[in-house]
Amino acid sequence: MNEALNILTRGFVKENPVTKMLLGLCPVLAVTTSAINGLGMGLATTFVLLGSNMVISLASKAIPSTVRIPSFILVIATFVTIVDLLIKAYSPELNQALGIFIPLIVVNCMILGRAEAFASRNGIWYSFIDAIGMGLGFTFALLLLSAFREVLGSGTIFNIPIVGEDASTILVFALPPGAFAGLGLIIAGLNSLEKKQGGK
Amino acid sequence: MRPIITLTIVGLLSAVLLAVVDDFTREPIRIAKEQMKRKAIEEIFPFEIDSLKTVTTDKTTFYEALDKEMKLQGIAVESSTNLGYSGRIEILLGVSPEQKIFDYKVVYHLETPGLGDKIDKPKFKAQFRNRTLEDTNWKVRKDGGDIDELTAATISSRAISDAVLTGLRYIKEQYSKTTEE
Repeated sequence: MNEALNILTRGFVKENPVTKMLLGLCPVLAVTTSAINGLGMGLATTFVLLGSNMVISLASKAIPSTVRIPSFILVIATFVTIVDLLIKAYSPELNQALGIFIPLIVVNCMILGRAEAFASRNGIWYSFIDAIGMGLGFTFALLLLSAFREVLGSGTIFNIPIVGEDASTILVFALPPGAFAGLGLIIAGLNSLEKKQGGK
Repeated sequence: MRPIITLTIVGLLSAVLLAVVDDFTREPIRIAKEQMKRKAIEEIFPFEIDSLKTVTTDKTTFYEALDKEMKLQGIAVESSTNLGYSGRIEILLGVSPEQKIFDYKVVYHLETPGLGDKIDKPKFKAQFRNRTLEDTNWKVRKDGGDIDELTAATISSRAISDAVLTGLRYIKEQYSKTTEE
């Protein structure tokens, strides 16, 4: 049980896919203009990761290593298409906001990375825990960055205005350069926090 | 041989799964799309809509908003422009039966967040209210027209004027013709 807890929590801080491993940065930088988008993207990715990790951990023994990667990609693409269809059917607003970035979860290297590095070598239970931990870690990082950018760039949080409509905001945070700067600041902040706690 | 068989099986299984999900979500997706449109139309009209009637011409689609007595209260039209800062902008324009503008809503755009996307903010849209095709010079002030452009988003403002103008022309030229016949 201790091992399971360890796998679950390490996706959050020690091996957070965004702030530590810097994996899957395309959606991290592209869709984090508002907190809703960040949260939606994070949860969609978590769902795909959950599905692909579990299927791959079950099937990996039957898949010869020569076609390992194509099979993994097929499994991932299947789950991404399912998420895409479900979002279109039950949350058209989110679909409008995220658009092309939902199908692009296929090429999120974090998902293939977990399939290759973890799920194909571990049992279904640990793979399930790993997907939850990594998925929530990813969602947490996206939410942090998107809330940061939304407050500074648009003056709102979850689309609720916190400054008047006429107040000027730091526009650069709503634009792509702000995504890079924001991510850098967040990583730097987390690193210095870790140092203070007497980590490495 | 084994890799080929494995990959084929994986492909087949995912095809079957996707076919099932597609079948299951097709109807909800269609309904969701219609509801999104209905919601957008409700947003641009300041009154309660009882029912909508769709009038289609070869260039665009018109929606007639009717009240409880089936009286025409407003007309909505889909219009678009390719003059946006990042390409195509699609709007839904709502006018009164006298062809005065109520409001419009941007349905699709790729304008810059924080600058060009203010074309969908109430503050910018307010100036379009009650304007008609004839009483307005449909250009931004910088080009000698009547529309106040957004600071740092002149191109987006120009594009919106163009889309609104196109919508008004559709109503004048096509809608009036179809309904008179």
